Amino acid sequence: MSVVYCHIFRRLISYNPYRKKSTTMPLKRVFFWQPNAGSTVNSQILNEVSQCVESINGVKEGRWKATLTFYKPMLRDQALSAEFPREFIGISLPEQPNKYYFVLRFNKIVLESDSSIQLIMEKLQSYKSRVALNFEGFQYQLGDFQLRVGKVVPSHSENLRGIVMEVEYLPISSLEKSKQIMEEFFDIWQDAISKRSLPGRFIHIEPDFSDYGLADHYTSQHTAVQYTHVTSQLIASVQAVQTGRN
Amino acid sequence: MPLVCPDGAVVAYAWKRQLAGQAGASAVDRTRLALKAFTDQKRRFFPHLDDEEDGEGTDTVSKKHRNLPALAEDNQDNLSDCKTLSDVLTNLEKEIPNLKVSTYERLDWLKRASSLPASANDNTMEAPKHNFHSTSILRPAPQNVASMDKVAVIELFFPSIFRAVVSLHPAGSTDPDSVAFFSPDEGGSYMHSRGSSVYHVFRQITEHATVALQYFLGIRSKTALYSLLHWICSYQTLFTKVCNKCGRLLAMDRQSALILPPVHRPYRTLSVSKQSSSQSISSTLDQGSNAPEAYHIGCFSDNM
Repeated sequence: MSVVYCHIFRRLISYNPYRKKSTTMPLKRVFFWQPNAGSTVNSQILNEVSQCVESINGVKEGRWKATLTFYKPMLRDQALSAEFPREFIGISLPEQPNKYYFVLRFNKIVLESDSSIQLIMEKLQSYKSRVALNFEGFQYQLGDFQLRVGKVVPSHSENLRGIVMEVEYLPISSLEKSKQIMEEFFDIWQDAISKRSLPGRFIHIEPDFSDYGLADHYTSQHTAVQYTHVTSQLIASVQAVQTGRN
Repeated sequence: MPLVCPDGAVVAYAWKRQLAGQAGASAVDRTRLALKAFTDQKRRFFPHLDDEEDGEGTDTVSKKHRNLPALAEDNQDNLSDCKTLSDVLTNLEKEIPNLKVSTYERLDWLKRASSLPASANDNTMEAPKHNFHSTSILRPAPQNVASMDKVAVIELFFPSIFRAVVSLHPAGSTDPDSVAFFSPDEGGSYMHSRGSSVYHVFRQITEHATVALQYFLGIRSKTALYSLLHWICSYQTLFTKVCNKCGRLLAMDRQSALILPPVHRPYRTLSVSKQSSSQSISSTLDQGSNAPEAYHIGCFSDNM
């Protein structure tokens, strides 16, 4: 019975008309904070990063918040759980308040759907939230660039698990054409932040968007994929620290 | 016999009644049209009076335009302008591969601007009649000639890089009167040749372009459009060409406190002879010796 649900869901994903019509958005890169070996992330680092943005003429604009949820299937027979996709993630983004994004990281699927899907899922009770993370912080305007700096916290806790930064270049939306601009901006950023001698650095690892069927024109689906990857990298680095401790 | 226009204004000279009677033409427009009509008639019936003007003609491009054969006797005046405009646009399309040129009548452009950026993701153009294709002037059909006569807006689109809007005044001529740059993803009725982009980088380029346009009109008025369009095309390297002075792509502009790419391209040294077009201004994206230079606002000095 649960296998039938899975098949129905997969069909919905393949035939969803929303998949093709995603609107073009400005270029964005998502970075996560990688602490140096032996150190952890803390709110002091977050403050320093925010001050650094303001030092390069960033104007604080307002707050932002994104959420990421790991879902697990509700099964009568837990032994069947191996048949289901290993990581099924749901993401909400502040720039798309009416949308909800699903990513199946190992199957390389990303789907944009209406935010009412969350209500449907609750009624179906087929999948439940296992872990939910909030990304929240302040947004800054730097001319044609927009920066967001945010802390990563589990949804019902105040424990700082990580720091993310979004760098958005508003005038264009082509990944290929904007590559140099984004790299040079990061060089300018690095120059500024290295003066503060913080124990770590921001890293961006560009996911292979074409694996997910995404094109050169940037969309919020690209952002959803970036958040999925950043989260898995954050988790890996947190686990590494824990293993190091043990 | 004086002509009374639909809005009540009286036009003293009725040589070109249709043009003068265009709905919505302002007094300035009508005066300009009247002057142009007068000049065209004078050139046609009193050619010896024009010897002084045409005599020197050292510019190879404008000489080429005058040697083109006319298609029909009765609209020869309009045609010599049309052929020139078509010629300029055809040359441009041939020399610069990534470029998409489109031409519009003034009201049609407003409609298009309002519907953007609907087609931002795909590069297909809408109605073929707005597309400027070099093959269109080879067809002898008179409707193409008529539509060239009314062209008032030229759109230069480099996909994913920028969109430039140039206005011609009067329609169908090769006299540009304003230019503006916009993001390829922007859209709205504010997008016209006197409008302003919402993005700083394109606003800065538009300011610089306005100064360049005045230079082209003042120094090289016969080839102003050709020079302007070629100069606009040099911006296709906007997001890749580093500044010739400081070697970086992005720099913090002290005056505006903004991080910008090199938005200045020199216009005084731009050559429009046929020899330079074969060097292909747009051929390389790196710092080849033929590639146009680029400067940040702070790195640019006026004598460039």
